[in-house]
Amino acid sequence: MNTLELLREGFANALTWPHLGWAFAGVTLGTAVGVLPGIGPALTVALLLPITFTLDPTSAFIMFGGIYYGAMYGGSTTSILLNTPGETASIATAIDGYAMARQGRGAAALTTAAIGSFVAGTLATIALTFFSPLLASVALRFGPAEYFALSIMAFAAVATLLGGSLLHGLFSLFLGLTLGLIGIDQLTGDARFSFGIPQLLDGIDVLILVIGLFAVGETLFQAWRYGRQEFEAVPVRGFVGMSREDWKRSWKPWLRGTAIGFPLGVLPVGGSVIPTFLSYTTEKRLSDRPEEFGHGAIEGVAGPEAANNAAAAGVLVPLLTLGLPSSATAAVLLAAFQQYGLQPGPLLFSSRPDLVWTLVASLYIGNVMLLVLNLPLVGIWARVMLVPRPLLFGGILVLASLGAYSLNRSMLDLTLLYVVGAVGWLMRVYDIPLVPAVLGLVLGPLAELQFRRAVAISEGDLSVFVTRPISLAFLLVAVATLVGPWLVKRRR
Amino acid sequence: MTSRAFAAVTFAALALVSTAHAQSLDQLRLIAPAAPGGGWDQTARVMQQALQREGIARLAPVENIPGAAGTIGLARFIGAERTRGDVLMVSGLIMLGGIVTHQSPVTLRDVVPIARLTGEYEVIAVPAASPLRSLQDLITAFKAQPGSISWGGGSAGGSDQILAGLVADAVGVDPKRVNYIAFSGGGESMSAILGGTVSVGINGFAEFAPQLEAGTLRALAISSAERLPGVDIPTLREQGVNVEFENWRSLVAPPGITPADRARLEAVVRAMVQSPTWRESLARYRWLDRYLDGDALARFVDAEEARVRAILKKLGTGATTTSSIVPSGAYPRLVLVGLIGFGLATIWLGRRSLGEGGRPETSSAVAPSASSAGAAPLALVATGVVLHLFLAERAGFVIAATVLFWCTARAFDHRHPVRDAVAALAISLASYVLFARVLQLSLP
Repeated sequence: MNTLELLREGFANALTWPHLGWAFAGVTLGTAVGVLPGIGPALTVALLLPITFTLDPTSAFIMFGGIYYGAMYGGSTTSILLNTPGETASIATAIDGYAMARQGRGAAALTTAAIGSFVAGTLATIALTFFSPLLASVALRFGPAEYFALSIMAFAAVATLLGGSLLHGLFSLFLGLTLGLIGIDQLTGDARFSFGIPQLLDGIDVLILVIGLFAVGETLFQAWRYGRQEFEAVPVRGFVGMSREDWKRSWKPWLRGTAIGFPLGVLPVGGSVIPTFLSYTTEKRLSDRPEEFGHGAIEGVAGPEAANNAAAAGVLVPLLTLGLPSSATAAVLLAAFQQYGLQPGPLLFSSRPDLVWTLVASLYIGNVMLLVLNLPLVGIWARVMLVPRPLLFGGILVLASLGAYSLNRSMLDLTLLYVVGAVGWLMRVYDIPLVPAVLGLVLGPLAELQFRRAVAISEGDLSVFVTRPISLAFLLVAVATLVGPWLVKRRR
Repeated sequence: MTSRAFAAVTFAALALVSTAHAQSLDQLRLIAPAAPGGGWDQTARVMQQALQREGIARLAPVENIPGAAGTIGLARFIGAERTRGDVLMVSGLIMLGGIVTHQSPVTLRDVVPIARLTGEYEVIAVPAASPLRSLQDLITAFKAQPGSISWGGGSAGGSDQILAGLVADAVGVDPKRVNYIAFSGGGESMSAILGGTVSVGINGFAEFAPQLEAGTLRALAISSAERLPGVDIPTLREQGVNVEFENWRSLVAPPGITPADRARLEAVVRAMVQSPTWRESLARYRWLDRYLDGDALARFVDAEEARVRAILKKLGTGATTTSSIVPSGAYPRLVLVGLIGFGLATIWLGRRSLGEGGRPETSSAVAPSASSAGAAPLALVATGVVLHLFLAERAGFVIAATVLFWCTARAFDHRHPVRDAVAALAISLASYVLFARVLQLSLP
């Protein structure tokens, strides 16, 4: 049987009323729990899995699909409306999403996120349906040298986010890099800069930094800057969502975001920060109005949201074809498969094709349900911006606290959150950009680790980075990103 | 609010699962000192299922406290759960390794051992295309040039690295010369092994099994004493490497519990390991039943601790590192120099531009007058934050969050104290109910 026939059978399995009901329940629960701050997709899936254990495998798998996509999507809502990303995948969304919400365009931001997620999720699921084995074998060719080169490429992309002053941008970047030093050196197990505090052994969670800088910092800054002044009400331009102009500016970012997010999601060492930010910087570079980025450019929401959902589908490729869990969420899903006595991996497609294809079919269905569920909700969510400012900011701080504490159940994290928040306020006062610090914290440890791994494997030979073709290609792109704009400027 | 409707659905669904059976214990909290998805988390969640389904405990919520091979969870367990008789934490060999490697101030001697639950053998494997056909090939190549063989496995100081060290020691190579490449998490190390990034991989048998069945990996040896029934993998021992090794997992209780609590926890665990649900799960996850309790368990843990400590010392993990080819100090120094350099430059240039024209260096036009106007609201928010942090563990989440909300709201507008207070209490209570009651995530 060819892929199409298998898929048709999968759809025939999934498209019954009870199964559609489970898909809907999965999407709804996944979104609802995913929206809560501090509860990322992995915990959402882990919390909700016990519900599925009472079901037969087919229904359970259909519900998994719904929960997974729902949880991946849920995080963007708080990111856009409250500047409080619930998981790393929606950090990039917060930058322009929150700016749009404050201009009264929250509905448009949420709509482009929902439709972008749908478009990206569907396209990525199609790619997953037809090219999984091929993609997985390519992904396996990525070793430490390639990952190092990839992180260097991401660093080069950060250059466009440094903001007005190069010096301020670099200062912010190094602040992030320094925070990234804290914790266990993964290669040796050596504790660095942890000052004997056990909770610091695992480093500073990027979400603590993001929620602290973005949500708490913004609240402090608003209190300091505007205080009790009368504030002009946010002009809400209806709750209908996207204008024709918004559509025109969104569709290309959706497609580009998918193209960036899916392949990077397939890589076993992906994470969602690199694809979302590469999408963001790509949009900024390609835009005719780069100055709008950071102040409510819809492309800055459409691209990263698409990249995020495409990457989420990409994660399923190594999971289903090789049995490799490449994210915490995938590891939870893997455990769920095992609950049913199934072992994802090279043999799953031949041993239980019925279940695999039902799951794939339910991913398509889950995507449609997600859209159906969320588009009507956009109008309701967008009204959050109508809440009086005092209550809104009070709510933001309470949610930030909840999120920070829920991550690791640690009082230290909660304290750090407000220390970071104070730093975020100062950075705003002195006009130091925030995003480079976040990327420094994410990319610095990754680059260092992969560099040392690659050099350890090659026994000290540095040429591995240029003799391996994929690595060389990434490094050349990085050089081109840095030098290219400068050359173009000079020629003019 | 629509999310309340969702919450109701969630609650109904969770209640359906959790209250289906009569109880003998109202609540037993399980702590997995790892992220969702790993071996410890799986153990805790399988226990949750067995305890609830068999009616041994009415509720068995799982909490994850990830990081540093479980030592973060251990420190917190000892600090926050002391004398509590209704909580168990998953532990095991990897935590012993973590305690040594990360020089943890707390050890397994600070907690009460309840039971050893499961064990898993480790397998040494290579990709199907590897030139290393047998363990002998590997050992010959390793002895000739130790650095040329890269060993891929889990986190530094964990079970995989311990086995690599034991093998090196047994074949007469200094364990410090093992070129061990630590990966975080099963997926990352498996892809490095499958892709041929490392020469040889070490992992638990259950993780490797699907790849071995599919023929993408070739097993060179298993760490069991004798061949496992139905598994065609030669042991280390029969190939002349005198090593026997098992990655075990156990349960511990907080320090200071009463003998009665201890006896009750032991009875609960004993009932659980005999239940059909638990036995089915053992088979499903390919875990070996290694139940052990009482004095025998205490002796076992002591012996394992000595063994782990000895081999990690020989391997030189943690602060005693000399084996790493690339020194770990270069990058941190570079970063710190960069931070200080750019920091000083920012301050210096900022001052100069202020001194020259009195023009603030900001583009967002922070009006000078705003700084005085905003001081009071800012101070009010700061007060709220300080009170919030102070009250969080002393007075509980609801009160702490209410205070934070109220202070913040007052900072922005001081005309509606009552409205603000009502909203503060409502939001705090709603989030408490949602997190702590519906989702079973503990809040202070």
